[in-house]
Amino acid sequence: MTLLNIILKMAEGLEKTCAIFFLTLLFAIPLGMIVALLRGSKFKIISAIARVYISVLRGTPLMLQLIAVTYGPYYLFGISISRNKLIPVVIAFTINYAAYFAEIYRSGIDSMPIGQYEAAQVLGYSKIQTFFKIILPQVIRRILPSLTNEIVTLVKDTSMAFTVSYQEMFTIGKQIANSQTSFVPFVVTGVFYYVFNAVVGFVMGRVEKKMSYYKI
Amino acid sequence: MKKRVIALVLAALIAALTFSLAGCGTAKTPSTDAETSGQSAIEGSIKFTMGIDPEYPPFSYLGDDGDYTGFDVEICKAACDYLGWDFNVFAVNWDQKLIQLDNKECDCVWSGMTILDSMKEAGYVISRPYFDNEQVLLVKADSGFKSSADLAGKDVAVQLGTSGESLLNDDLKDLADIFGNVVTCDSFLKCFTELEGNAVDAVFVDRPVADSYVAEHDGYVIIDEDLGAEQYGIAFRSGDTELCAQIESAVDALVENGTYAEIATKYTDIDEGNLILLK
Repeated sequence: MTLLNIILKMAEGLEKTCAIFFLTLLFAIPLGMIVALLRGSKFKIISAIARVYISVLRGTPLMLQLIAVTYGPYYLFGISISRNKLIPVVIAFTINYAAYFAEIYRSGIDSMPIGQYEAAQVLGYSKIQTFFKIILPQVIRRILPSLTNEIVTLVKDTSMAFTVSYQEMFTIGKQIANSQTSFVPFVVTGVFYYVFNAVVGFVMGRVEKKMSYYKI
Repeated sequence: MKKRVIALVLAALIAALTFSLAGCGTAKTPSTDAETSGQSAIEGSIKFTMGIDPEYPPFSYLGDDGDYTGFDVEICKAACDYLGWDFNVFAVNWDQKLIQLDNKECDCVWSGMTILDSMKEAGYVISRPYFDNEQVLLVKADSGFKSSADLAGKDVAVQLGTSGESLLNDDLKDLADIFGNVVTCDSFLKCFTELEGNAVDAVFVDRPVADSYVAEHDGYVIIDEDLGAEQYGIAFRSGDTELCAQIESAVDALVENGTYAEIATKYTDIDEGNLILLK
């Protein structure tokens, strides 16, 4: 197998890796915000539930969560294991990353000085308006570096989908390495992940620049 | 206060480090030098580590008592006992087994391993074959699949890094092409889970593994079409010819004194007709 063939084959896997990456971001970013808001709720029960959620999802390995989401429904309720592994994989990644995102959001929200809320109240903003128009944009600006960190980690974590037999990029790399008894496919895999993350880093850098308007 | 805490933490770290180092010291066999490879010292208590796939019953698996066991493990243990060697088991990551062997994490790979030409070409020392194997398709009894042709367009699971996987990529490419999807799992037990949970329609697997699974679980049948006849052997690092010869002669002695046959009878899933050394 020539280098070009290896790269082409890996590109097929890249598509599946991208599917996990984008779908997870799509669902986890809003879900994380919901969890963060629940975590900060005045109602003790709701806040406690959110705390337990974060604690469990951060406290257990993602690999275990993948196995639990994929095979759990079958062992517990006899529901057939999904043939399209993307569904359980994205669910597992989403609930896991939402927990991390929630804590990042919370760090941003808590960092906002109370004076801004008071000033907004004086100016006649409602609570919802205050949050979305004044607080949130500044929060996003502040948490972007930590968010980039998590997103970069997500790119690399997608390789864990192999545990539940989802054929993403890393799996394909391993398969080629096996059949060729060569180390080259692993190098190619490394380059693919690096380039992917370089793009993520570049995009996030641009977003940060755009958001610098909200810097205090 | 703060300083005391730091001092305590440091003390604990140093203590932990010392203990772990001491632990390493005792784990090493006294008579051999730093190299743990069995080949480096012939006399004395040689530490011999066999590399196994821990999820490959009946050849190698985690027994009910929490120790690794299986046909290959018991034979290797008996061979080490015969040679007076210190026997150890190391569970390899099957798709990285040869890299781990080169890395001296184990001294051989002996775990229902199919002899492939590519291994010989890469310079590994391979023992005489000891088992005749073939690939079969394991399906659910109520699925109604009777032959590989029935599986056209269906999903088939195979373990990554096994000979089954290489066959489907190579000699049996035609067969792989009629399947809908070939799903690679990281262990056979996961392949079987996928089959059980209806995520795939069949598992492409070595005959004895399938036999063992069928014997223990109801509702499965084997489609046997003489696919991919092959043989099992033991892989050693290149240059370990002497080590390979020592193990082979120890196994020969076990065959002669009847230990080999005795162990074989314990594993009813292994068809004695396929054990080359007993022929």
